[in-house]
Amino acid sequence: MLLFAAFVSAIFSVVARDTVKERVFYGLKVFAEFVGIGIALAWILYFLPF
Amino acid sequence: MALRETKDLRGNVAGKNPWLVGVAAWVFPGAGHFLQGRWVRGLIIGGVICGMFAVGLLFGGHLFGLGGKEVGVSKLLQLPPMIANLGTGLLYLICWASGSGFSDSAEYAKLATFEYGNTFLLVAGLLNYLAMLDAFDISVGRKP
Repeated sequence: MLLFAAFVSAIFSVVARDTVKERVFYGLKVFAEFVGIGIALAWILYFLPF
Repeated sequence: MALRETKDLRGNVAGKNPWLVGVAAWVFPGAGHFLQGRWVRGLIIGGVICGMFAVGLLFGGHLFGLGGKEVGVSKLLQLPPMIANLGTGLLYLICWASGSGFSDSAEYAKLATFEYGNTFLLVAGLLNYLAMLDAFDISVGRKP
């Protein structure tokens, strides 16, 4: 999941932002969102009985 | 016409062979940006997409095609993932020509990383479509 998030956030940041600073911040934000939402979903699904 | 006269941040006139740039970006990930002189962007895109493709194959994922054993509607269901895989351009075509990566035998399917591998391969193609559109948009002057 971390590898996937790193790859995808790198492409998103390169394509969606123009300056280096913007790319770094946007890439880190997207990476954190991928990982955070992934972990949150994993815990939600863990407690679901079906 | 106005688009053809737009200049990008480097002062280059946009609109030089946008279709060539788009096709190059599809054929080899990052090549579209290389043609525009955007080396860092091209290197990141090429490295990431080739990396995702390699990781997908290493994880035991398989590429989708229409040459499988499926018949009728099942064959049509192979079309959307095949289009996604096809986004990797030459990487997909090399695998198709050499017959590697298309095996969906039980030996691969039982691997714990099989579905992860499929996801990496599919997303690599989709991201290259995104990069291709980015290169095209820059070339026609819609993006700086």
